[in-house]
Amino acid sequence: MSNVQLSNSTLERLAARRTFPLHARTSACRNLFGPVDHEELNREMKMQLREISDRDQRRWNFNFETDTPLSGDYEWEETPTDSTPVFYQESVQTGRNRVAVSVPAKVKPCSDMASRDCATQDVPAPRPVDDRLSTPEATLPRSGELNQENCSDRLNSGKPKRKAAVCARRKRTSTTELTTTTTTHITDFYMKRKRMSEAKQSENSSQNSTLAIPVEQTPRKRIR
Amino acid sequence: MAQEAATQYERVAEIGGGAYGTVYKARDRLSGQFVALKSVRVQTDQDGLPLSTVREVALLKRLEQFDHPNVVKLMDVCATLRTDQETKVTLVFEHVDQDLKTYLEKAPSPGLPASQIQDLMRQLLCGLAFLHSNCIVHRDLKPENILVTSRGQVKLADFGLARIYSCHMALTPVVVTLWYRAPEVLLQSSYATPVDIWSTGCIFAEMFRRKPLFRGESEVDQLGKIFEVIGLPAEEDWPADVTLSQRNFGPLSHRPITDFVPEISHQGADLLLEMLTFDPLRRISALNALDHLYFQEG
Repeated sequence: MSNVQLSNSTLERLAARRTFPLHARTSACRNLFGPVDHEELNREMKMQLREISDRDQRRWNFNFETDTPLSGDYEWEETPTDSTPVFYQESVQTGRNRVAVSVPAKVKPCSDMASRDCATQDVPAPRPVDDRLSTPEATLPRSGELNQENCSDRLNSGKPKRKAAVCARRKRTSTTELTTTTTTHITDFYMKRKRMSEAKQSENSSQNSTLAIPVEQTPRKRIR
Repeated sequence: MAQEAATQYERVAEIGGGAYGTVYKARDRLSGQFVALKSVRVQTDQDGLPLSTVREVALLKRLEQFDHPNVVKLMDVCATLRTDQETKVTLVFEHVDQDLKTYLEKAPSPGLPASQIQDLMRQLLCGLAFLHSNCIVHRDLKPENILVTSRGQVKLADFGLARIYSCHMALTPVVVTLWYRAPEVLLQSSYATPVDIWSTGCIFAEMFRRKPLFRGESEVDQLGKIFEVIGLPAEEDWPADVTLSQRNFGPLSHRPITDFVPEISHQGADLLLEMLTFDPLRRISALNALDHLYFQEG
């Protein structure tokens, strides 16, 4: 560990100015590793970026900056957009929306729609956040149906489905917990707690058995 | 020979800093695989790329690890600075010759055989269930975004507007092409994964009809066309937080679904109606749709 000793006056100052940006002004934070050569840093960053670009260029034998095919393993050809799926067309991203740049030779009615979309995009006001807390995610599973988010093991590993209603069980315990807290019987509460931990255990074990091969677990947002 | 290729494709002129009207595709001499480039020009500020773009790219790369057969393969992401205000992000995708739109257009009369529709639908739902299980709503599912390989393999593409959903996300109501838009999107109510199921239902019907099921010209017109097929929803099913009232739509005499999709089987019609359910909470999920009896048909 470092032996940085803060003098009394420094500590006082820290206590007085709790806001983070002001910390930078205290002596302890000043130039611990000497002055930064911003130009050198900039040069280094540029060099790194160039290296990444060079690597991309070598891998695909294609100059992405100038859109020029180079010689190598990939035989490049330029094809007109109307002979390839619309999906591959170049597009421009402005904010959250993305529009296709070029209009295909055969004008389709839906590209008409797309342009109308852009024209009207600012009309409907974005909905407030708390409004969305009650979106279908929270109530999505129909009775006896699984929330798909909890079935990733089946989808990603191709394993047969198991009817372990993880989500439904969780939901039930949380609702019963709510109702019991209103009719406060401490013993009831212990019972529930016990049952809850049991449920958790079986839930864990069922998860372990289904996940023979590790799949990536994505953090899940639960909306209550 | 390699040298030849380099000189053969020298650029004649550059128009406005971008390659308009063309798509670059290439064949890997070693594997025989085809790749194609999709460039997205992103407006940047002093902080560089917008966070939403960075997140989107991270999401695409994360999905890639699963190597799902029904999602278009992303091989690489290459970013190049164009100007101070613009960064070009080039996505290297596997190249598929056609999308479902051209696939349906090219299908010889009287259209696709029932078994082929069933196979396409199974694959489509598989890809969709995969996206949904990874917290992704496609939000712009349409025949143009569904690629079909020469071997009939379905690959979902263009998650340009798909994003990991969270309760803090500002959802813009304008995300799905009008014809495939779910009623809750048209009504600007809240929405999630069921919007993709609605679009899938529209596409399901289109596979039989070879023309779109609901071709509305405005949001209200689109809703009217929908209610002609599924009937006017009950007052209590109508979302509470929308401006458009159920009474705006006069008494409708709706006709059976088989009037609009005559070739569909009994089970197929049942699944279609499950997908075209007005209430998103009662609409079938991708996973449950895969278990539907329709997929056990002959």
